[in-house]
Amino acid sequence: MGDKSSVLPLTLVDQLVVPGDVILDVSALTNRTIKLGGGLRQDADLITVTKAGRLRFSKPNKYWVESSQRRYVPSVEDSVLGIVVDSKADNFLIDIKGPAIAFLPVLAFEGGTRRNIPKLEAGTLLYVRVVKANPDTNPELSCTDTSGKAAEYGPLKDGFMFECSTGLSRMLLSSPTCPVLEEFGKKLSFEVAVGLNGRVWVNAESPSTVIVVSNAILKSESLSSTQQRILARKLLEKVQ
Amino acid sequence: MEIDRTDGRSPNQLRPLACSRGILHRSHGSASWSQGDTRVIAAVYGPKAGTKKNENPERACLEVIWKPKTGQSGKEEKEYETILKRTLQSICILTINPNTTTSIIIQVVHDDGSLLPCAVNAACVALVDAGIPLKHLAVSICCCLATCGHVILDPTKLEEEKMKAFAYLVFPNSINSILPEGSSHTKSKQLEDGLVTSVTHGGMSVEDYFHCLDRGRAATARLSDFLRKNLQSQVLGEGSKAG
Repeated sequence: MGDKSSVLPLTLVDQLVVPGDVILDVSALTNRTIKLGGGLRQDADLITVTKAGRLRFSKPNKYWVESSQRRYVPSVEDSVLGIVVDSKADNFLIDIKGPAIAFLPVLAFEGGTRRNIPKLEAGTLLYVRVVKANPDTNPELSCTDTSGKAAEYGPLKDGFMFECSTGLSRMLLSSPTCPVLEEFGKKLSFEVAVGLNGRVWVNAESPSTVIVVSNAILKSESLSSTQQRILARKLLEKVQ
Repeated sequence: MEIDRTDGRSPNQLRPLACSRGILHRSHGSASWSQGDTRVIAAVYGPKAGTKKNENPERACLEVIWKPKTGQSGKEEKEYETILKRTLQSICILTINPNTTTSIIIQVVHDDGSLLPCAVNAACVALVDAGIPLKHLAVSICCCLATCGHVILDPTKLEEEKMKAFAYLVFPNSINSILPEGSSHTKSKQLEDGLVTSVTHGGMSVEDYFHCLDRGRAATARLSDFLRKNLQSQVLGEGSKAG
């Protein structure tokens, strides 16, 4: 049973799929659990695609569709860059490029109590984690990791933030390190924070470094890894 | 049997198709679709928070705005908006992002017949570009019934004016499936034979209508292939970016 069902579903894996494509028949695998990621849904016995992209499969049982879009849909445990829009008694209101404004509870900071609520003005850029993402309610954020430590989360000072597609931000976060960042990292020193919602923040000692790095990142979206390396090296020669 | 068309096409022949995605910088998804000289640009914004008045907040709401080439939008544009909205509502999965509104803006660049089918195709590609969850794609075609009883596809403006009746038909696209060909799964079979929208103008007999349906369905198979190839080639572009 296991052999037969694992051979069939692999036919569309790593292929480009469009909405409506059927990738799996669940009735064929009665005693196995499968996990569905973004871009897939269950329609009675069939697993169908809802977004155009490349179908991915990760052992043992995860399926998802890899796609790129300009709009972000929040999902739990994503690290995102948010901008403070307003602050209320209990929550900061944060724009994370999603369909609804996200809430950041004023106590969701390391060691947060009523006494030491941080002062965040409208326009502050924050690196935050999505804690709750139900479609019916506003998403909830946190400035701590799961163990309550601040980790890298919190306000980002100085630097430069720009927006890109979700596909590009996922590429920047992928491991092994994205070639552009790797090449620049060898020669220049800079800080970068990438949010899965398609926002990237770059900071460095000199403004020229910030400009070079951010332009290279924006340009690298349509390039292959070798092209990215060439681009980075060319730019580095010019800078030095 | 054969009837003459001014541009020398055979009755079943479509005009050359062209489609490009992501042409607008600020929208969340955009597409331009042209069939011959008819060209439409569609832009998608959203999902944005909140639904409009009189809409069910437990589902996603679609809003279609039709911009004519010149002048103000009138009754005809309102009708197009309604048809397009209902068509897109049936292919979108409205339960995924409840209490949100997605705007679809249709800009007519040039109207040379088969305008509504062209807009449906453009809107569908734009929705895919924006990453709005869809049940399946839709492909649309215009079938005309000439006075002598022949059916011609994808008419130009001139031909449209001469026709006795015409039907705008929207079909689901042909899907890729891991299920073996001709499998007993009724669900996917139903989809293949399905019809999303049908709008007719003028009078035609039932037989003629079914004839139109058959011809339209045969032609949309080609449209559907074009759509898939187009979506895949442009996703491929992104794929190599990521790779």
